[in-house]
Amino acid sequence: MTFNDFVGHEDAKLALILNAIDHNCGGVLFVGEKGTGKSTLARLYQGLLSADIPFVNLPLNATEDALLGGIDVEESLRKGRKVFQRGIFTRAYGGFVYIDDVNLLSPEILSLVLKGQYDGEYLGGRKELPVQPASYFVLLASMNTEEGYLSSHILDRFGMCVLCESLKEAAQKIEVMKRALLCDKNNMEGDGKLREKIYASRLALKDIIVPAEIKDHITQVCIENCISGHRGDIFIFYASRAYTAFIEEKEVTKEHVDKVIPLILLHRKRLLQQMEEERTEQSRQDNQPDEKEEKENSQKTAPDIAEGNENTSRDNGNIEINDLPERPRESKLAEEIFKPGQTFKVKRLTFRKDGKNRYISGRRTKTGSKGKSGRYIKRILSANNDIAIDATIRAAAPYQAARGRKERLLIHDSDIRFKQREKKMGHLVILLVDGSGSMGAQKRMVETKGTVQSLLIDCYQKRDMVSLIVFRKDRAEVILPPTSSVETASRRLREIPVGGKTPLTAGLMETYKLIKRVTVKSPETRFLVVLVTDGRANQSLSGTPIGEEIAKMTYLLEDLQFTDYIVIDTEHKGKFIKTDLAVHIASQLGADYYTIDDLKADYLTEIVQSKKSELF
Amino acid sequence: MIFPFTAIVGQEEMKTGLILNVIDPSIGGLLIMGEKGTAKSTAVRALAELLPETVAVKGCPFNCEPDGVLCNRCTETLQHEEHPHREKKKMRVIELPLGITEDRLVGTLDIEHALKKGEKRFEPGILADANRNFLYVDEVNLLEDHIVDLLLDSAAMGVNTVEREGVSFMHPAKFILVGTMNPEEGDLRPQLLDRFGLCVQVLSLTDKASRMEILKRKAAFDAEPVHFAALWDEEQKSLSGAIINAKARLNTVEITDAVLERIVGVTSPLNLDGHRADIVMMKSARALAAFRNKDAIDASDIRDAAQLSLLHRMKRLPFEEIGKEKEKLLAALAEMRT
Repeated sequence: MTFNDFVGHEDAKLALILNAIDHNCGGVLFVGEKGTGKSTLARLYQGLLSADIPFVNLPLNATEDALLGGIDVEESLRKGRKVFQRGIFTRAYGGFVYIDDVNLLSPEILSLVLKGQYDGEYLGGRKELPVQPASYFVLLASMNTEEGYLSSHILDRFGMCVLCESLKEAAQKIEVMKRALLCDKNNMEGDGKLREKIYASRLALKDIIVPAEIKDHITQVCIENCISGHRGDIFIFYASRAYTAFIEEKEVTKEHVDKVIPLILLHRKRLLQQMEEERTEQSRQDNQPDEKEEKENSQKTAPDIAEGNENTSRDNGNIEINDLPERPRESKLAEEIFKPGQTFKVKRLTFRKDGKNRYISGRRTKTGSKGKSGRYIKRILSANNDIAIDATIRAAAPYQAARGRKERLLIHDSDIRFKQREKKMGHLVILLVDGSGSMGAQKRMVETKGTVQSLLIDCYQKRDMVSLIVFRKDRAEVILPPTSSVETASRRLREIPVGGKTPLTAGLMETYKLIKRVTVKSPETRFLVVLVTDGRANQSLSGTPIGEEIAKMTYLLEDLQFTDYIVIDTEHKGKFIKTDLAVHIASQLGADYYTIDDLKADYLTEIVQSKKSELF
Repeated sequence: MIFPFTAIVGQEEMKTGLILNVIDPSIGGLLIMGEKGTAKSTAVRALAELLPETVAVKGCPFNCEPDGVLCNRCTETLQHEEHPHREKKKMRVIELPLGITEDRLVGTLDIEHALKKGEKRFEPGILADANRNFLYVDEVNLLEDHIVDLLLDSAAMGVNTVEREGVSFMHPAKFILVGTMNPEEGDLRPQLLDRFGLCVQVLSLTDKASRMEILKRKAAFDAEPVHFAALWDEEQKSLSGAIINAKARLNTVEITDAVLERIVGVTSPLNLDGHRADIVMMKSARALAAFRNKDAIDASDIRDAAQLSLLHRMKRLPFEEIGKEKEKLLAALAEMRT
């Protein structure tokens, strides 16, 4: 199978061809669901390129040394000084680096790759290429958004972005299957013509005329689309020039520019689009009261109506502020199960690194690493089967004469140094959810479940384990023991009913017991307790006053090792009525405090996938 | 002594899934979902035992195929010698332990050796052992995430690329991946599920007669394994012959447009991600037809292939319940019959 044989995805192929013609086009990011042939296309592309152009696959577990070139042990020992060997950057010079599932690559490595792309400092100065590139290699990458996102400033580094959706038409699907049978037989000859054409376009590049009004058009387009930064303009310029060369014309026209624009603006424009959508969605929801809510409103008793009307009746500002917590209404409202509301992208929740070294991995918080995975941050003396060559050689150096060195370095056991590494891990996230009657008011539970659901999605992407505890009526219950199955968690979440009093202390107690239990079994675990409540505790566990009880419980919890707390306040923050009881609990726990709105990610910095058809 | 494959009672889907992967390894492995003690690992071991020997480059730690893609090492030796030395090897079942480290999986540089002796030595990992063998991963859903990523990456590419400090190495890693999981204990990310070619659900047999039969055969085997094996020898030979035959004539089975249309007819309404489902279904239908000694694929092959290749790919709405897929799949297949 050859590059030409690949069915459909014309824009993806065009993007790759343009990058082969001009390395200034900035690389391509393929975004799409699994099994759409992203990796296959990259492999075929490798076959399309002429053999002297480097093409390096970057595996997900690549280390810094592998990128920059580490110490060549054999040579270093022989020569008695540090000898470096070529890293991926040097090998890829003038060619391509391909990263499958780039969103799973550790951020440190990814940022290094992005830097290395333009920063020659890391590289030896080889300058014999026909077209002198501004970048040292072109980055190709694929990602599946189910597995997490890339931040917009990383997206911006990619010149082009292509959505890979699976082909929907039966005829195309059949064609894909037929070609897949060919896939096993390698046939690189078939691309010869295209290869020649690319080479010719490459040579023609410098003679292509780009009229001033075209440059004007490019900047105009970028301004109209509110593209931040100037990378967009620059990449459009190079891409349209390469396209003109490819179709064997001499001068760039508006049509040529318009042809390449979608490739370059797709991932830059999306942010704005997303914001627009959110806004319209929001206003639509605001204007559309739910039937259920209306029914609920009609059942409301006197104090509720007062609260419901707070906007109208309290506008004069003279009304007395009612400091009392809203009265629980379990007696009036029957138990009810609310569906989760709208989900959203959760703000980045990370925590400080603690002192523990761990085997477990994940994507949330930094931790010292026990195994050989992770980034080498410093050398240590204690043995861990992970030898640091540089430090070992340094340690051996002063004794060489005394040991009677002739040829290679003489290393003794006492010289050997080891690596301390750092990586990211997931937490066990304990979601402690208030299921009391007060959460049913104004369908607060709908929003709350939407929030917890959003947190669950975030946990999935950060590879956390989750556990669910609900407190209501007279007790707290672990309705989901720790699991990595976020699906089970979200199923249980749906089933949580609302009604009854608020036994907050029981919830905290259950959390405490769970943490103790898990710590015995897996002492490496780092916990994150997310307390979702309006803070209106009114059911004591022991009969002592509720405030006192909470103080005791939080004191116990605060003392736990490797545990962080977050309080999410679900109280409806009216202009005048708010108790901020949750704020108090947060401070007792030493927790980070958020309202639901605080938790939403800023759309300027985070990106969410949307369908291409809606954009262009 | 290994329990004969043909003497395993029931679990036909699992057995077929394994056999199809042997006939066409590009199908991409088998995921077995289900309870403990349902002869999962026995079946894999027994099948490996039944298969004929393969030819490999002599002494190659990566078990290279003499006429296929070679590892860096074999490529180097081939520069001095004209032909690689060959040796015959039995297919093996390599087990992946749950607590495995990255280094042990992909291989690493033996740094201590390098420092003390002054020479580089690459220590091959499990993926090297697994090349052209079965790689059996018990409870694949409990493996550390980054390990699963690496594992499935190599499985998909057929190559293990190592780019770690001091090592840049590549060797073929084409193995038949057999994973087991109990979905109750946590699931596998959809992206990873999709990488497994086929998937079957196994349950313990509930009818009394089969359970009795299992007991009887196991007792007979434990008492006199050699004698028991002799009893099954004929069946074993005939299955082995059928597999070899199917492998040989795989490419002669015709895949007509009508067959492809039928496949698309099944998958299209299910709204699956990507094209892997179509491709795997086509390949397994072909392997089935070859195994059943037919020259063309018919409706029963497609139906059986669908059962094996679609279950784990059925799309769930975000966080929909797990058991739902089977119902949906059966409904889709029922439609096909009419």
